[in-house]
Amino acid sequence: MKKLSNGLTVVVSEDHSAPTFGICVSYGIGFRLEPEGRTGFAHLFEHLMFEGTPNAPKGVLDRVIEGGGGANNGDTRYDYTEYIETAPISALDPVLWIEADRMKTLDFSTKNLDNQRNVVEEEVRVNVINQPFGLFFAIDLPGKAFDTYPNAHNFYGDFKDLDAAKIEDVKAFYEKYYTPGNAVIAVVGDVKPDDVYAKMERYFAPIPSRPTPAKPKVDEPPQKTERRSSETDKLAKVPGLAIGYRMPPHRSPDALAAAVTGELLHNGQASRLYQALVKDKQVALSVDGGVNWPLGTPFEYAGPTLMTSFIVYPPNVTEDQLVAAYDATIKDLAENGPTQQDLDRIVAKMRSDMYGNLEIPISRASALSHAVLFDGNFDSVYQLPEELSKVTAAQVKAFAAKYLVSTNRTIINRVPVGAAEKEKGAGQ
Amino acid sequence: MKILTIACVFLFIAAQLPAQKETQLPKDLPAYGPERPLSAPNVKIAKLDNGLTVWLVSEPGFPKVAFSMAVRGGLAADPSDRPGLSQMLGNTIDQGTKTLNAKQIAQQLQAAGGDLNVSPSKDSIILSIGVLSAKRDDALTVMSDLVRNATFPDAEVTLAKRNTLDQLRQQESQPSFLAGRTMAKVLFGDHPYHVTSATEQSIKASTADDLRKIYAERFRPDQVLLVAVGDFEADGMLSAVKSRFAEWKAPSTVPVTIPSATSTAPQHAIYVVPRPGSVQTTLELGSFGPVRSAEDFEAARVANAIFGGTFGSRLTRNIREDKGYTYSPFATLQTYQAAGLLITRADVRNAVTAPSLNEMLYELNRMVTTSPTEEELRTAKRFLVGIEAIQLQSRGAVSGELARLWVNGLSPDAIGAYGKKVAATTAEDVDTAAKKYFPAAKTAIVAVGEEKVVRDALAPFGLPLLSAP
Repeated sequence: MKKLSNGLTVVVSEDHSAPTFGICVSYGIGFRLEPEGRTGFAHLFEHLMFEGTPNAPKGVLDRVIEGGGGANNGDTRYDYTEYIETAPISALDPVLWIEADRMKTLDFSTKNLDNQRNVVEEEVRVNVINQPFGLFFAIDLPGKAFDTYPNAHNFYGDFKDLDAAKIEDVKAFYEKYYTPGNAVIAVVGDVKPDDVYAKMERYFAPIPSRPTPAKPKVDEPPQKTERRSSETDKLAKVPGLAIGYRMPPHRSPDALAAAVTGELLHNGQASRLYQALVKDKQVALSVDGGVNWPLGTPFEYAGPTLMTSFIVYPPNVTEDQLVAAYDATIKDLAENGPTQQDLDRIVAKMRSDMYGNLEIPISRASALSHAVLFDGNFDSVYQLPEELSKVTAAQVKAFAAKYLVSTNRTIINRVPVGAAEKEKGAGQ
Repeated sequence: MKILTIACVFLFIAAQLPAQKETQLPKDLPAYGPERPLSAPNVKIAKLDNGLTVWLVSEPGFPKVAFSMAVRGGLAADPSDRPGLSQMLGNTIDQGTKTLNAKQIAQQLQAAGGDLNVSPSKDSIILSIGVLSAKRDDALTVMSDLVRNATFPDAEVTLAKRNTLDQLRQQESQPSFLAGRTMAKVLFGDHPYHVTSATEQSIKASTADDLRKIYAERFRPDQVLLVAVGDFEADGMLSAVKSRFAEWKAPSTVPVTIPSATSTAPQHAIYVVPRPGSVQTTLELGSFGPVRSAEDFEAARVANAIFGGTFGSRLTRNIREDKGYTYSPFATLQTYQAAGLLITRADVRNAVTAPSLNEMLYELNRMVTTSPTEEELRTAKRFLVGIEAIQLQSRGAVSGELARLWVNGLSPDAIGAYGKKVAATTAEDVDTAAKKYFPAAKTAIVAVGEEKVVRDALAPFGLPLLSAP
């Protein structure tokens, strides 16, 4: 790992198993810090990072990366926005040039903004408005569980806010957050570290440094009572329930036990909730969830987050029956803790999942750059698989008893519109 | 925990000018470096006396092993009065064996670091799992138990029927599911490939005995491939396989047969699938394409990359980057043993339903009537060769790809041969493939959305507006 004179951090990991590489440029800006009145802006902005620069107009980036045999993408999350590419090693230099070029400046064009505003609104239609459940467990649940704008607002954006975004907003956001000092770049693959550092000096070091924005406080006032609400859904055919418990801060003493508990409850068919709700009591059709789910791993967050459970259940089961069955599972864990076998199993699964992720260069590059962004170093990427086995049954039990309590949670029940009529076979 | 479906994959796509002229590259952009070709996986092939095929790939790296088991016979082999029974089999094969119950199976696999994934497709059922190397023998033991001794306990089948029914109701609220189901019926008619999913009727009618019957017919060593990819020594892995599978006996009955090929062009018509409350129309255009082993498969892949299979493709540049009609247009070649399809899809807001279809038809026909530019051809070829290397970076992906090749009747060499054939593809090859597969008149059109919106918008095309079969 090295830091360039302009503040950009560079991480390199060698892997010669294939003649390819993966790269991730993460910027320390996400949904959480987007301005009020501009919900969805961090993500809209991310789209504009693909729309060209004065040096490389719209079209060049794609032509260079796809023409080099690679693929590229971007993701916006609560605490970071990442730009990722993977390609045969022959494309490394042009890809680094492209990333450096868009770290210098952008083509701030109203035409591109208007075009991508349309594209983003179509994306929201595809993923939210035209989807059963409309991601309510990811958008509405934090909205109810948290009280302050950074953590509670709709990250995909209200259309009125997206429509209001101006090119001046784009410039200001870029100036403030897309600075070398607010970025971490990781390169993984068929490379030699010294070669990569030399290329970084060539392509990135000339970018002038700019002040790195201070991280504002994004804490929440404490939750005192359980929060419950219900919604209707025009597209869903069966009801769904989302439960969110507020979690301890990143890297705090309880965070590792939180991660393991989240997986113990949700990971796969052997999980406690699947076995209890889908198999034993047969009150649910599917159970998904975990800590910081679905928009991140249990180890990558820099502000308030939830352990979320998203449960789809049959129409002949009531919300109360489902919640009672859920609570019995939680109560058992809080009173009796897991067995050592339970723990060994879930730790093996988590470790296996982590190795599976690190195996792929672009995913390892993401993990490395996020770790540096959150912790200042990437030690956790390689240590976590080992650290997990230090979590004890007593810690999981204590964690469940302290955090998985009703006064620390928010529940939204989402039912199909006219569910009763549909049950009679009237259709809609 | 990659449970997020496409709903949350924030796919952001790069951009190109829609104009015909090509983007000028910046003068100080460094050139591509020398190519380093992908070395195809070194597959050790073995066949046990009972007919079980074994493909082993030793790949050092993180301590994991990926297993895939492919079994011939999938949805196309299901009894005609039980469409989609393979899907039910996929949901229940891990719910009990002669010695383990469902919970024990799930727990033993989790202890090995894995989650079993069962994928029933038209031609096969593929079981796959990735586990920690240290636990690979435990995982292999459970896998062997599942393919040899599954019992389909009555209580588990009853529960699976209920859950599969509710899953079907959920799927039926997804426009992509509705479009795909309708397209298969339109293109395949009575051919067994028309089934994409179980139906309410077939789920309700199916019994544990139905499942036991097709399991006994298909799960036999001479119709199964076992693939392992990971950090193991091949001889040791082969003995581990032999000790768990050598006693498995194939019955003397005739194995399930592959349905014969089909490729009669469908009626060029619009099939409307009503979806009340829809704020978008899902437009899907489908026609027949090459099978995986066809001579022009690679040329068709190159044509598709130019047309709509990449972010810089003509279709994406047009209806996304120029017009902003849609977020995620795409075109793909789907291959089965006895048929290939070319599918183009876009979800567009209601107001632009008609102009979107117009552009999709236009871009299909533009492939037929204009040759690719040199730049388009070069980019598409480099993309396809490169992306194959990218897609085979994980051992799970290599294992899955080998299993699919076997199902399609190809050998492991196909991985190395594919890149060479793509690289050798000429503009004439692309033109020939485009003329054969891409004419808009050869497509059937499925439109899922608010019925009145769709019918009003698409009436001016003058094509038959039919109700979905």
